[in-house]
Amino acid sequence: MSPSPTTAEPSVTGTAPGRPPRKVSTPRKFAPRSSARVHNQQAKSKRRTLALLVLPSVVLLLLINAYPLVYAAFQSLHNGTLISTGDFVGLDSYKSVLSDPAFWEAVRFTAVFTVVAVLGSWLLGLALALVLRSDFPGRSVFKILLMLPWVVPVVVSATSWNQLLSTPQSLVPQISDMLGLGSPLFLADPTLAKITVIIFEVWLNFPFMMLMISASLASVDRSVYEAARMDGASSRQQFFRITLPLIARSTYISWILMTIFIVNDFPTVYLLTGGGPESSTTTLVVLAYRAVFQNFQVGPGVAIAFLMTFTLVVISTVLYRQVRKAHV
Amino acid sequence: MTHTNASSPGCSRRRFLGLAAAAAASVPVISACGSGTGSDASGKLKFWDMPWGTAAYNDVSKKIITSYKPAAGLPSAGYQGIAWANFGQTFASAIASGTNPAVSTGGGFQAFQFAEQGAIAYADNLIETMKKDGFYDDFLPGTLDGMKTDKGYVAIPWELDAHVWWYNKALLEKAGAKVPTNWDELLTSGQALKKIGVYGFATAAGPGNSLAYETPMSMMIGNGGGLFDPDGNLDVLNARNIEAIEFIKQLVGEGIVDPASVGYTNDNAYAQWSKKRYGLGNEQGGLAENVGGDVAKDLLVMSPIAGPHGDKGTLVVQNNVMMYKNTPSQEGSEALLLHWLKNMHQFWDQALVNGLPVLKSIAESPAFQQRPNYVKMVKEYQPIGTSYATRGKTIGGAQSKMDGNSAMYQFGQAVLSSKTDAKAALTTLSNALASLLK
Repeated sequence: MSPSPTTAEPSVTGTAPGRPPRKVSTPRKFAPRSSARVHNQQAKSKRRTLALLVLPSVVLLLLINAYPLVYAAFQSLHNGTLISTGDFVGLDSYKSVLSDPAFWEAVRFTAVFTVVAVLGSWLLGLALALVLRSDFPGRSVFKILLMLPWVVPVVVSATSWNQLLSTPQSLVPQISDMLGLGSPLFLADPTLAKITVIIFEVWLNFPFMMLMISASLASVDRSVYEAARMDGASSRQQFFRITLPLIARSTYISWILMTIFIVNDFPTVYLLTGGGPESSTTTLVVLAYRAVFQNFQVGPGVAIAFLMTFTLVVISTVLYRQVRKAHV
Repeated sequence: MTHTNASSPGCSRRRFLGLAAAAAASVPVISACGSGTGSDASGKLKFWDMPWGTAAYNDVSKKIITSYKPAAGLPSAGYQGIAWANFGQTFASAIASGTNPAVSTGGGFQAFQFAEQGAIAYADNLIETMKKDGFYDDFLPGTLDGMKTDKGYVAIPWELDAHVWWYNKALLEKAGAKVPTNWDELLTSGQALKKIGVYGFATAAGPGNSLAYETPMSMMIGNGGGLFDPDGNLDVLNARNIEAIEFIKQLVGEGIVDPASVGYTNDNAYAQWSKKRYGLGNEQGGLAENVGGDVAKDLLVMSPIAGPHGDKGTLVVQNNVMMYKNTPSQEGSEALLLHWLKNMHQFWDQALVNGLPVLKSIAESPAFQQRPNYVKMVKEYQPIGTSYATRGKTIGGAQSKMDGNSAMYQFGQAVLSSKTDAKAALTTLSNALASLLK
């Protein structure tokens, strides 16, 4: 048997028996350069279009964010007022702020306030998200009701809490009195005022945490739990070995967001206690407000704000690294 | 786990910087957006007014401004109500951007503050005009002097915010206590009220409540003390101040002061008066109207009480109307301000404001005479009322820095605290004010 022309003389395309024929390669001498040029032109044109489309946003961002930021940095280096720029004083405002005991008192309270409020609202949000995962009558209504603290304007919430707590005739002190616990001065005693403000912050923010965690839990396949149960995992083991790792990423993201929200939260503290009594509930943002708008010390006020921003960037970066590490 | 490439292939660093530079170049365009004079788009003089009473006050004030008929060549006027929330920021931003009003009411010491910063048009020429037409003589003695500085009159007063002693007649009768005339009797009456579950020294030092420091300030002034010596130097730690604060602390220690009041807003305090929990207190002039209800008729102003050395005095803040340098017409600003002052009697004719008038014609008017508490305030408190300057010469600029300062609020709260003694509270205040005023 004479060999077939195909096998005896393989074609230039190198087609093996039983395989689809390879595409005939294009001559490489001129065509690639011309194709690359066309491709480059198209890419350039695309980049130009994209840049033009992005330009309005970039301009807007620079006007809204960069300009005030640069101007604020400028203010922190001057001893001006709200009206005048003042003289250049270098880092004097930062030095005076860092040597002020009131600043460090505010740092301490802000740290405690933020950590407890973030963890408190997360724990409450997690608990409620787990409850809401199961079916029960009125679940939707319950879910909507739980969103109310987050939906209602903080001015209204603060006024309501003031009415519930401030005077000995208010509802909560009355209940406490009826229970034989006396009539606590929730907003007048420095320690109780701190606790009250933190609880108020947790109450305001747990719905956000609940939403984040609910969304994360919804994406978890229930078969994972079924498999775990079949393998003999207890509820506790399922929670710590499955639920928590699976919601880790959204947890870290919610912590980052909530830390930023709470450190920058001015109205909650200011409306409920004004930072008092005797500065016991003064956070950094309240201290910055006082410096600028009550004491007309713009430089130190802005310096406090910049120190806050720097700290927040560091904390956010650390937490963001955790997000990247988190297993999903 | 998926990864996304964050780098954008379409935008190089150089390209981005180019875009940023283009955006930065447009910033001055925004900065340049300001009308530049105290007029609105139609060229009218702008009159900014605070809500000094109910909404009806602003309605009447607006009518006064819109009824202004300028002389030939002068601009007409427009009215704008301004909220109290962040009002300092509102005015400061407006001045900084050149969009300030030509004439305005505002904070009690705002004119001093802005005068120091070169934004206020002094009212000396207007005072001369008022002297010529006799309107000057209508001002109650001493009222115009409070606005005088070394450089001239920073504003014209229009209303007095006086701290006066109030008592609940029914509660004092129930407790078998007499209306006190001095500090000893105040203590005795407070003890008697305490026996019926009523507090005898009302105050409120909660969020943003200026009563926190105004009440102890009023007590210090009432004892012949104050924050400045006769030469205008800071003198917080004088014996009279210490004595006054020690007395308040004694009242706190004896349970005559509501311990929760350190966290009270104005509304919380009014609620306590309304619930008949407060029987005596050094409060602002409009207390009865603010408390309202059935209790209001029992709330009466008593005569000023004497300190242990026989001194009498109280804190009075002069609310005023000021003119700004940045105006389309200074002559127009003066004419508009004079028009408003000459028509402000309507506020008292219709009982729209709770402050005391600065004009004799209003204080003697039939409408005003029908308000016995106010008549007593004008007769007995206005003559002994002083600002924070107290014993010293005018300290306008300093007052603007002190009023509403966080150190003042903290001082007020420290006075009501059992943890800090009088000297310590005053020392902290003194140090804070020294730093502020240096």
